[in-house]
Amino acid sequence: MILQKLLTLAWREIYVTFTDRSMVLILLVTPLVLATIIGSAFSGLIGAGGGRDVPVSDVTTVIVNQDQGLADGTNYGQIFVDLLVPPADLSPEAANAESVLFELTNAVTLDDPEAAREGVSTGVYVVAILIPSDFSARIGVSQEDMTIEPTTIEVIGNESAPISASVVTMVVRSIANDIASGNITIASTIEALINRATSDLGFGMEFLAANSSGEFNPDFESAFTTTAAPITIEQQTVSGDVVGFNPLVTFGSAQAVFFMTFTALYGVASLIDDRKDGTLQRLVMSPTPRWVILIGKIIGTFVTCVLQVSLLIIGLAVVGIVLQGELTFIWGNNPLGVFAVVLAVAFAGSGIGVFVSGIVKTQEQSNIVVTVIAMVFGILGGAFFTVQGIPIIRDLTQLTPNYWAVDAFTRLSQLDNAIGLNLIVLVALGAAFFTAGLFLANRRLEF
Amino acid sequence: MTTTTTMVEVRGLAKQFKSASGAPFFAVKDVDLDIRKGEIYSLLGPNGAGKTTTISMIGGLIAPTRGDAKIGGYSITKQPLEAKRTLGVVPQEIALYPTLTARQNLEFFGRMYGMNGAALKSRVDEVLEFIDLTDKQNERVDKFSGGMKRRVNIAIGLLHKPQLIYMDEPTVGIDPQNRRRILDTVVRMRDEFGMTVLYTSHLMEEVQEISDRVGIMDHGEIMAVGTVGELIQKIGEEDMLIFRVGTQAVSSAQLEKLKTVEGVTSVTYEQVAKTTNGEGNGNGALPADGRVVARAKRGRQALPDLIGLANTDGIEIQSVEVREPDLEAVFLSLTGRALRD
Repeated sequence: MILQKLLTLAWREIYVTFTDRSMVLILLVTPLVLATIIGSAFSGLIGAGGGRDVPVSDVTTVIVNQDQGLADGTNYGQIFVDLLVPPADLSPEAANAESVLFELTNAVTLDDPEAAREGVSTGVYVVAILIPSDFSARIGVSQEDMTIEPTTIEVIGNESAPISASVVTMVVRSIANDIASGNITIASTIEALINRATSDLGFGMEFLAANSSGEFNPDFESAFTTTAAPITIEQQTVSGDVVGFNPLVTFGSAQAVFFMTFTALYGVASLIDDRKDGTLQRLVMSPTPRWVILIGKIIGTFVTCVLQVSLLIIGLAVVGIVLQGELTFIWGNNPLGVFAVVLAVAFAGSGIGVFVSGIVKTQEQSNIVVTVIAMVFGILGGAFFTVQGIPIIRDLTQLTPNYWAVDAFTRLSQLDNAIGLNLIVLVALGAAFFTAGLFLANRRLEF
Repeated sequence: MTTTTTMVEVRGLAKQFKSASGAPFFAVKDVDLDIRKGEIYSLLGPNGAGKTTTISMIGGLIAPTRGDAKIGGYSITKQPLEAKRTLGVVPQEIALYPTLTARQNLEFFGRMYGMNGAALKSRVDEVLEFIDLTDKQNERVDKFSGGMKRRVNIAIGLLHKPQLIYMDEPTVGIDPQNRRRILDTVVRMRDEFGMTVLYTSHLMEEVQEISDRVGIMDHGEIMAVGTVGELIQKIGEEDMLIFRVGTQAVSSAQLEKLKTVEGVTSVTYEQVAKTTNGEGNGNGALPADGRVVARAKRGRQALPDLIGLANTDGIEIQSVEVREPDLEAVFLSLTGRALRD
């Protein structure tokens, strides 16, 4: 009987929320649209053709090309320098006009990787690109050595500018992929041609003639579509943490949690509305213990939050597929982990909601307190802009469930499953607020 | 002691609140009350008399400061859930979820009273038919008129077939047609379902019309209890016959003659100064109107003789008004103030 009442109370909360068009608009459509707009902006920057409408520019970048090159003088590391560092004889305006990459990175070169790291640490540079000394040796192919070996380019970003660092990382990854896929294709094609020329004398003669006249080049170029990636781009902060930035993941999850906070806080605080409407009195006068009424409302709010964030996660995944033009799941490869984060942040939000419902007495108080808490949490959680570069604020963010949830979603999207701490903190936050709030919220059922 | 004929037994029920200044005061003062099974019992009193506080304690919404009440033998302080199962509630305000349909509201509250499955569905069908809203059952309540909402509000109280249903001013703010329908519904609940009805109102007319017994309440106390007739008897049960005679003067001798009519206990002459709007309190400059006021046990029986004698004696009567005693007069007599004050 108690279970039936709990489910009935919870069902009403969920039903009322998701059958109200304006609520659906606020809870689901708005965060999805906001996240999509932000995601689209950044996706446009890195999309095919790299259009000239670059929203991020002058990302002060330093390249340390330690590549020793190949015996024949080929130096693949130099490709990065040539593409990102404007020629010295070009004015800044002329350089920007010539290449969008010059406009984007405003890059210079250094020889000392430590100096580059130090420069990023002190804020002289936003990003440092460190190309290893054996880069060409590992990635390059020749008729003598057609083996391609894995190698890593380090991209070190300043913590205060993760977006800029990520944009540069994407550019570096794009260049590296082109180099790698080209070399792989060349290697495999040459190998196939040589094998055939060896067994087929007529073809061997044609091969020699064509090779000397350079006719193979177009064929190699058309084959540059492989996705094989022997070059790893590792983006780090100066403290060594591996970071990454998918705008859709970061802003999307921040928006989802931000709007969920409203649902959680208003959900339980709606006890005040029920009291004003008289429906709470009617429930109290039914043969239903007061704690059942309260817990039923909390369960309803919790499930509503879970559904809201889950639907946003799915919606953002679809947006991610559309923007990227390929069937990839932006939240990583651990859907159970994603769902665990959804549950944990919904629990934390509901706990805070219970607490808020206990401290506010009127609808007006509720509106003010809910808005202030949700906005502060949202700002600290990065729903609007990143605050990680501001030392004091950076510490404060860790007091919000938004930070831990967004961090967990981001980690999962980068295939990093180390979200245990995030889950523990979220559940602990929820439990603490829930315990304190339960006592306080019970007073809202007194008449 | 609760007998087989008693549905509600209230003993020494009191509730203390704090005023805005922080001073404690009793909204309900040691009320004793017995309501019999199958009767419509009305608590009549002006706003602030303590009616809602009393039934809120009986319904388990607020805890009494002292005293206890039993509903169907269950103590509201010791067996609150059992007592609540016996009680159906129709609050004064429309206590419905506006975005749910009438049927969804009924099913929701039905489940909160432990009903479910086919029994719930069947019962919802019954009450929808009872309140004549079967054809509107799937429309959202916020699209309903005030009267329709009131009917759903009542239906929820009826849903679990309670032995006692309390209705707190259920006709407030609705049109005469819906008011008539609600009053008929209250009577049907007693007559068709054998329910006991605890009804509160500050409207004397409707209380007088539907109640088997009335408790008159003021300042947190029950002033008197009885049938309408019993209460009227308590204040003397006299009709008042008012003869308007315009500016004509009436002598004491003429009044004495009128007093000889059988059943008449007193006759007085009063002058009421007219204002520009008609009858007034003497502030106007127009000549005063006179009226002869006769009191009689059975006023309508004495009326022909009084008119005949007045005509014979040269008293020119312009109009006649018969005022029979009602609950308004009872309340006035008991409290020294009008019910609507």
